[in-house]
Amino acid sequence: MSRVRVQQQAFDAGEEQRRLIEARTDIGAVVGFTGLVRDFNERPEVQALSLEHYPGMTEAALEAIVDEAESRWPLQGVRVIHRIGRLAPGDPIVLVVVASAHRRAAFEACDFIMDYLKTRAPFWKKEHTASGDYWVAERQTDHRDAERWEVSS
Amino acid sequence: MSLTHLNARGEAHMVDVGDKAESRREARASGAIRMRPETLALLADGELPKGDVLATARIAGIQAAKRTHELIPLCHSLALSKVSVDFELDEASASVRVSATCRLNGRTGVEMEALTAVSVACLTLYDMCKAVDKAMEIGEIRLETKTGGKSGDYAREGEVAEAPIVTGEGEAGEVSLGARCAAGEPCILVKCLAELRERLGVGEVSLPFNALERADVGGLKAALKASDPRFAGLDEGRVLCAVNQVMAGNATPLTAEDEVAFFPPVTGG
Repeated sequence: MSRVRVQQQAFDAGEEQRRLIEARTDIGAVVGFTGLVRDFNERPEVQALSLEHYPGMTEAALEAIVDEAESRWPLQGVRVIHRIGRLAPGDPIVLVVVASAHRRAAFEACDFIMDYLKTRAPFWKKEHTASGDYWVAERQTDHRDAERWEVSS
Repeated sequence: MSLTHLNARGEAHMVDVGDKAESRREARASGAIRMRPETLALLADGELPKGDVLATARIAGIQAAKRTHELIPLCHSLALSKVSVDFELDEASASVRVSATCRLNGRTGVEMEALTAVSVACLTLYDMCKAVDKAMEIGEIRLETKTGGKSGDYAREGEVAEAPIVTGEGEAGEVSLGARCAAGEPCILVKCLAELRERLGVGEVSLPFNALERADVGGLKAALKASDPRFAGLDEGRVLCAVNQVMAGNATPLTAEDEVAFFPPVTGG
């Protein structure tokens, strides 16, 4: 099972976690993060979201982020799934599951992967709202979140 | 959840749509008619006694969509801006799959129109083929997708609504393919992605490698701007760049046959 997947279909977070840890007894902690489509963002009444990506580079960028996480923390398994295409409010959009022997590494690596994904993986969101469609702008808070990991390495 | 066609006393009434905002509405419905394989073969070959079955059924479906309000009691009469009916012959299941798309800018949805178009197209297929096959069966008539309006978008499970998913497949009319290099000439493939593609109106172009005064990304930008004024937009806002799918900057060197993508800051997750 590849560590990174980019797909249109929905995913089952429970199933992904189960498959990541099945038949393993060396894992002491699993942390999972699921991102969902909100019905409000820069404008209210978001009716749908279209996610575009750059095929090829997307997968490579996600693999590089997972490699970086594995070099920083002792991890027993990682799964990253990001959806593309048209999504509705409430739909799951991204999944990161990290397994490690200890909880601190799993928490931190999961947090790190999401911060880097949001600032480095080539995905773009277009929101469809009651008042029209628009491309989502980047957020400075996301960059500050990602910069937290750039110290003392 | 309440039924909008019933009033507080449970009586049928027509919904007052005068105060609803106009928006672009689109709905797609589908259905199928199953028949004997021999009947499908005759249909495919145009050898049925009543003539061109599919063309007739298509017109019937389009006409029916326009008259939905005469058939369904509480439907409004709508000025549809588009109705299309399409057929797919499926030999494996010996059936004809019918799909219909209806669109308008207005205050009510068009799913009843799409469902009516599919239903009547199926009935017409039955009528056109019944001389050779009376056991045909109409089924699976259903709404596939619906967009616009207060109740929001709908897509049947497993259906993916039309949307630009992958780079380079922008919405029609927004993307132009620029000049291509002559065959055999060394060139650079340039892609503009996401918001940048829509803002510049350029999806993909290829540029002769020899057009670059400097063989780096900065040189490519200059050559693009010289070839097409729309590329002046590369200097507006933050525009990122990748060479052969790896993040790059103005000083990144280029060689012939490189793929260079320009795009806005990423917003996934």
